[in-house]
Amino acid sequence: MKCTRCKKTAAVALPRHNAGFCPECYGVFFSRQVEKAIKERELFSKEDKILIALSGGKDSLALARELQLLGYNIAGLHIDLAIPGSSVKARGHVERFCSDFGVDLHVLEMENEGMPIPEVRKKFNRPVCSVCGRIKRYYFNRFAMDNGFNVLATGHNLDDEAARLFSNVMRWDAAYLGAQGPDLPGDQGFVRKVKPLYRVSEFETANYSFLAKIDYCYAPCPYSKGASFTFYKSLLDELENEQPGRKLSFYEGFLNRGRQAFARIDQEDGEKLCPCPRCGYPTTGEICGVCRIREIMHH
Amino acid sequence: MQILIEPENQWATIDKATTVLNLLKELELRPNQALVIRDGELLTPDRKVGPQENITVRKIASRG
Ligand code: SF4
Ligand SMILES: [Zn+2]
Ligand SMILES: [Zn+2]
Repeated sequence: MKCTRCKKTAAVALPRHNAGFCPECYGVFFSRQVEKAIKERELFSKEDKILIALSGGKDSLALARELQLLGYNIAGLHIDLAIPGSSVKARGHVERFCSDFGVDLHVLEMENEGMPIPEVRKKFNRPVCSVCGRIKRYYFNRFAMDNGFNVLATGHNLDDEAARLFSNVMRWDAAYLGAQGPDLPGDQGFVRKVKPLYRVSEFETANYSFLAKIDYCYAPCPYSKGASFTFYKSLLDELENEQPGRKLSFYEGFLNRGRQAFARIDQEDGEKLCPCPRCGYPTTGEICGVCRIREIMHH
Repeated sequence: MQILIEPENQWATIDKATTVLNLLKELELRPNQALVIRDGELLTPDRKVGPQENITVRKIASRG
């Protein structure tokens, strides 16, 4: 297969774009997809201070590298969860990436916050991922707010977003549907959240990371029961295989034509948020979820 | 040919495959489910592969 742009030998074949690209032209293709997402959805500009959530996986590191190349003002935040056999590795990948490519890095250690995930796992009957996810969202948001970042960017790709949408649709979860998208505005103590990789698939970010010589972490978390929405992802893969381009049109169709309706329902039924009396984080309850976790950890 | 499968780091020997697409089929993978790497280079599904080669198949599955 030849590169669609320059006719050299292609390194990546992309059926949904009816195209193949050599390593250099693949970089151009990928940049254009990310820039298109940023421009079309007005995700952020060169004036914004962007914090990127860095897990050490291919998506978050690809995002940091690409935003850096596009000239945005970025810094990374890694949350060290203190999970044996996993967190040290993930952190190592993030630290090497940031020093190799010259990205400012901040690290928060959950051990220091009194919430190492293995201990949290012992204390709660719920699946650890829901508690862990809540803790991570809390600290990413809080760190951004406390340190003058006005945008929080995550590496969610098209597969993640389409699968989440599919799952929300299957349950007709109006509140979740109203709050899904690559461009969630900040308000009431929440920083603006963006997903600049929503137009590129997981396969595309993996190729990008490989070609950009990013040494990413691909060992899964030992507590993970497989990637999230695995079943929905495989259903969508079947569909994409039969109808190339379907995933993006499903997701973009929702953004363009479906989302407003749900946003309205959500506003009407949505609960009022107040600042948590202990930490100031927005909450609907008396104290916020993470302060409650912290309390349980102390007992 | 010798195939290194990541992230499991398992080795497999596959002799029947003559193209990357065949090779992936033998491993029950679709082209968009793995990177196929030979000598540091990415291979598209139409590329020919030979019996004497060492190839890495890196599965794409996201971390939790
Ligand atoms: S898989 Fe679960 S426990 Fe592991 S990092 Fe992700 S959310 Fe946390
Ligand atoms: Zn080219
Ligand atoms: Zn609180």
